Amino acid sequence: MESQLKSVGKRVPKVDAREKVTGRAIYIHDLKLPGMLYGKILYSKYPHARILNIDTSKAEKLPGVRAVITGFNTPEIRIGFMKDQPVLKKDKVRQYRDEVAAVAAIDPDIAEEALDLIKVDYEPLPGLFDPEEAVKEDAILIHEYDAKGKPLKNNILKLPWRLIAGDVEQAKKESDFIVEDSFRVTWVTHCCMGTSGCIALFDLDNNLTIYSITQIPFLAQNDFNAALKAMGLKGKNTRVINTVIGGGFGSKLDTHVYEYIAILLAYRTRKPVKILFTREEEFFAQPPRQPAIIKISQGCKKDGNLTFREVDMLLDNGAYTSWGATTPSVMMVPISSLYKVPNIKYTARSVYTNNIYAQAMRGYGNPQATFAVESSMDILAEAAGIDPMEFRLINVNLPGEITPQNFKVTTCGLKECIESVGEGLNWKDAKKNKKKKRGVGMSSLIHVGGGARVYKSDGHGMIMKVDDFGKISVITGAVEIGQGSETVISQVAAEVLGVFPEDIQIIKGDTSICPWDVGTHASRQAFVSCNAAIMVANKIKKEILDIAGKYFNVDPENLDIKNRVIYLKDEPENSEKQMPLDKLLRRAHFSKHGTMIMAETFYDPPNEMLNQEFKGNLSCTYAYGTTGVEVEVDTETGHVEIKKYFAAHDVGRALNPMLLEGQIYGAAVMGTGYALTEQLILKQGKVMNDNFLDYKILTAKDKIPIVPILVETIDELGPLGAKGIGEPACVPTAPAIANAIHDAIGVRIKDLPITPEKILKALKEKEKKG
Amino acid sequence: MKKFDYLKPTSLDEVFSLMEKFGSNAKLIAGGTDVMVLLKRKRIFPDVLISLRSVPNMAYIKDEKDKIRIGSMTTHRELETSTVIKEKLTALYDAVINLGSVQIRNVATIGGNIANAAPSADTACPLLVLDASCLLISSKGEREVELKDFFIAPGETVMKQDEILKEFIIPKPSKLSGSAYWKLSRRKAMDLPILGVAISLAMNEDKSIKKARIGLGVAAPTPIRAFKAEEFLTGKFLTDEVLAEAGNIASKEASPRDSIRGEAWYRREMIRVLTKRVATISFKRANIV
Amino acid sequence: MKKVISFKLNGEDVEAEVEPHWSLLHLLRETFELTGAKEGCGKGECGACTVIVDGKAINSCLFPVMEVEGCEVTTIEGLATLNGNLHPIQESFVANGAVQCGFCTPGMIMSAKALLDENKNPSEDDIRTAIAGNLCRCTGYVQIIEAIKKASERREP
Repeated sequence: MESQLKSVGKRVPKVDAREKVTGRAIYIHDLKLPGMLYGKILYSKYPHARILNIDTSKAEKLPGVRAVITGFNTPEIRIGFMKDQPVLKKDKVRQYRDEVAAVAAIDPDIAEEALDLIKVDYEPLPGLFDPEEAVKEDAILIHEYDAKGKPLKNNILKLPWRLIAGDVEQAKKESDFIVEDSFRVTWVTHCCMGTSGCIALFDLDNNLTIYSITQIPFLAQNDFNAALKAMGLKGKNTRVINTVIGGGFGSKLDTHVYEYIAILLAYRTRKPVKILFTREEEFFAQPPRQPAIIKISQGCKKDGNLTFREVDMLLDNGAYTSWGATTPSVMMVPISSLYKVPNIKYTARSVYTNNIYAQAMRGYGNPQATFAVESSMDILAEAAGIDPMEFRLINVNLPGEITPQNFKVTTCGLKECIESVGEGLNWKDAKKNKKKKRGVGMSSLIHVGGGARVYKSDGHGMIMKVDDFGKISVITGAVEIGQGSETVISQVAAEVLGVFPEDIQIIKGDTSICPWDVGTHASRQAFVSCNAAIMVANKIKKEILDIAGKYFNVDPENLDIKNRVIYLKDEPENSEKQMPLDKLLRRAHFSKHGTMIMAETFYDPPNEMLNQEFKGNLSCTYAYGTTGVEVEVDTETGHVEIKKYFAAHDVGRALNPMLLEGQIYGAAVMGTGYALTEQLILKQGKVMNDNFLDYKILTAKDKIPIVPILVETIDELGPLGAKGIGEPACVPTAPAIANAIHDAIGVRIKDLPITPEKILKALKEKEKKG
Repeated sequence: MKKFDYLKPTSLDEVFSLMEKFGSNAKLIAGGTDVMVLLKRKRIFPDVLISLRSVPNMAYIKDEKDKIRIGSMTTHRELETSTVIKEKLTALYDAVINLGSVQIRNVATIGGNIANAAPSADTACPLLVLDASCLLISSKGEREVELKDFFIAPGETVMKQDEILKEFIIPKPSKLSGSAYWKLSRRKAMDLPILGVAISLAMNEDKSIKKARIGLGVAAPTPIRAFKAEEFLTGKFLTDEVLAEAGNIASKEASPRDSIRGEAWYRREMIRVLTKRVATISFKRANIV
Repeated sequence: MKKVISFKLNGEDVEAEVEPHWSLLHLLRETFELTGAKEGCGKGECGACTVIVDGKAINSCLFPVMEVEGCEVTTIEGLATLNGNLHPIQESFVANGAVQCGFCTPGMIMSAKALLDENKNPSEDDIRTAIAGNLCRCTGYVQIIEAIKKASERREP
């Protein structure tokens, strides 16, 4: 098969690249509709307060203003995973970014001016910003009632996460070495270069069209239809149309308040209403990744075999829930299944605070959990006197294993990943001939590699149709957020159909045209959409060859397509038994009883939903990888320089190595930011660094010498063997760097980001202790 | 953002008359990379911007016999690509190559960087240790103010409402002297300094220090000189002990504060570390054999 | 308070009625409907709005529109020819995987163009310096730097 692949495995340029390099691609920023109004949102002045009164009269009188809405003059729409958030707040504000009013005006400046004219009277309430305070029984309540109006007794979310496998207490007794530590991770944010925005409009029948940048158009349709119902428009439908999206990284897995506000304003004004975030809003009104306090204990035998892993986590959910409230389910993946650990206990609580509410971000909890697990792995290895790489190899996951969470490991290249990273770093030599202030460290990862059943369906629908010219339209529910799903779909479809990727046109981004897909999340898009493409392309191919068989009077089994030509397999050179694909298609179409060739499929991978014990084969295959770094630490300034960076990933098969490496490079830099420089700084609930000067994503000058290593394990269920890669590469970076810093200077930083200040403080403490 | 008018006078006389006409309702704009941000962030609300870009002869680097003159409208990019700056005012070169981005350096001017009087202004420390003076002019005449006396508070200088900053006058560094600037920041570009340290050293033939200048940025409400540390260094040889003590003294002279960009204790500590390092680089650049 | 300015835009002499408080970016996007330059932050911190003015890469979001008078402005729309032939830098971005979400891409390419116009044979460090003011969240910059390097090699005689 390998040598026969024509399109798959090649460094095919992204199909949308030409539009993007010429500035022709239309993002939400670039889209204008006739008569369009501009919406702006008024946010709370307090992190926690009662709203006494909202006076919008002056704003309404400002020329150019078309509507001013508040919670008092609009129907209540409740959103969020636990439906705990009203779109416009009227009783209380629970965070600084709470939306209390909104304006639609003929231009954005007028809309903003109008916001200044809205007067809101508040009665400030004490705020809760520390999750450890918020969990206390006597803490003030952030939500007095749940979505159904039932009184709440405390701030702990009614989402008790608890995974038990084996017997941790017994395992502790049988362990030769046990370590116990506490780690902290803080808020970081997606920083999509394109800020958030949408345009909402209603037709005369009150059906909604929304131009959106969502990663989950069909779940969004579902959410927005619920909103229509709440607005008294039961039975009306939503059409979600994607523009080109300026970055995702999980930030668009939820529907967001601003979208509902645009809908309310559009309904009120009967005009298209656009809301577009400024960069400041993007920082303070777009939910970031969850912070957590993670207690972890692990044990092993003298021979290095892990005996147990016990993790207890406290997550700062912020004021409302998003889908991100379910990240502990994915945190379980590394906690239960990274390396062979027979006994597992994991508990997690999520609490409401008056901080900005959080959502998922690339890795869906995995980066937080893996930081604790892999830091702890090094600590335990040291306690047991075993080299950290050796320690990982002793406990490495292998094909055929069933993990404590009941994951069925099929293909698994973790051993190769660890070994190739070790080789890249000259691990043994680096450990033996240790240079001053230099150190090496590594961390591995496991992530879902074949989708994840977090929703009723993990499916992907696809329609394929072939025209008279041999060109193929693929109509897909996949959302392109920069990762290149359209390109790999084209490659795979071309491969199956014996045509070229440029013969394939991808039609996407419209819920009224495209078949259902659960969304671009969980590193699943290439896996599910390419599997669907193979299924549907095979149907098309069979139809084509059946027709060709009749025409040539041969068994269709003996025919194939190559380079857009149908030919006889036994006599590939026989030009009498060849026909260009387009010619055959026209013949089929325009003959008597003509036929058009099209096909559809719905591929739902054999993934299981976690059961009540949070066990089950969440994904039909798992992605593995190892990141290894060498760092140099300036012990006077605390600055860390990354000298080497190897990222080995079990990718199943590299459908397009160029795009795959792009995912690894980008994730590695994002992961390094998480480790060293990025932090959304909150003081009493307020975001203090709402700009790129103070929220420090890395620049091109901050060189990280990333070397990607692709380990191909050719997964049986993957499309031509491929697994997911979107999230994995950012997961192991932070612990790898933390481990390398420890190797270099003997101090362990247990909270992110690892700032120079923290390093110096730790060095001083170490000095004090002698 | 508030609407404003934008005026483009073509002579200094015209600038002065506009300044007089609009008074405090006007704001001068040079490259605009700071002023435009202040406007967008709604920190200032002028009715009129008076641009200096169309005034001729405001951007230059003049290499005279014993002075180097830099016009206030000279952009950072022009400084960066000038061999005079690269070879003779090395501390300033260190500062301009790491300021913002190429896009910013292409328009941001040295006059703007100083006149804004941010404690973090990257060019301030180098100019301080190079003994720069500011030439201020108004319709009434001109005066020279040493940069060490120029800053009053964050965003505040000795400039009067009717004055503009015309040029920087920098004595040409003597033989056996060297200068350097170290910007401590999280990222290698697009960043403000957590701390900036500039040092210039003029050496005697015997490798003792003839004259020392230490400039500190983000170490106090304005860019400052560490006079006591300078005095301590004068006449000394650059040993580890001397450098360490100079760092200690400089650190005590500073009054850094906690901010989201860095903690005060860390800044204080880094003054010690960087004084040592920057002095060593300056010494090397003095090229004493 | 409208005023009229004239300048050269992508090789053509143009005139426009502007409000003095506009930025060049606003003029390009709203008046000329050239939406290739993006507003990523509006404060000169991300580089998505980069265009070339008189041969220099600048942040058009901070460039006062009144200063455009008499200038020569090149935007991403001025690079490819009308029949779709891409500029060598654009081609190299396509071929080397330098584009993901694409939002930073036009600005990135304009910074690269300003660099290569000035320096035909830039080192990796020169390239990193030239695009340090163009933030990208998707690519980690690696393939962008490679694309610029390869474009420069191609332009060598």
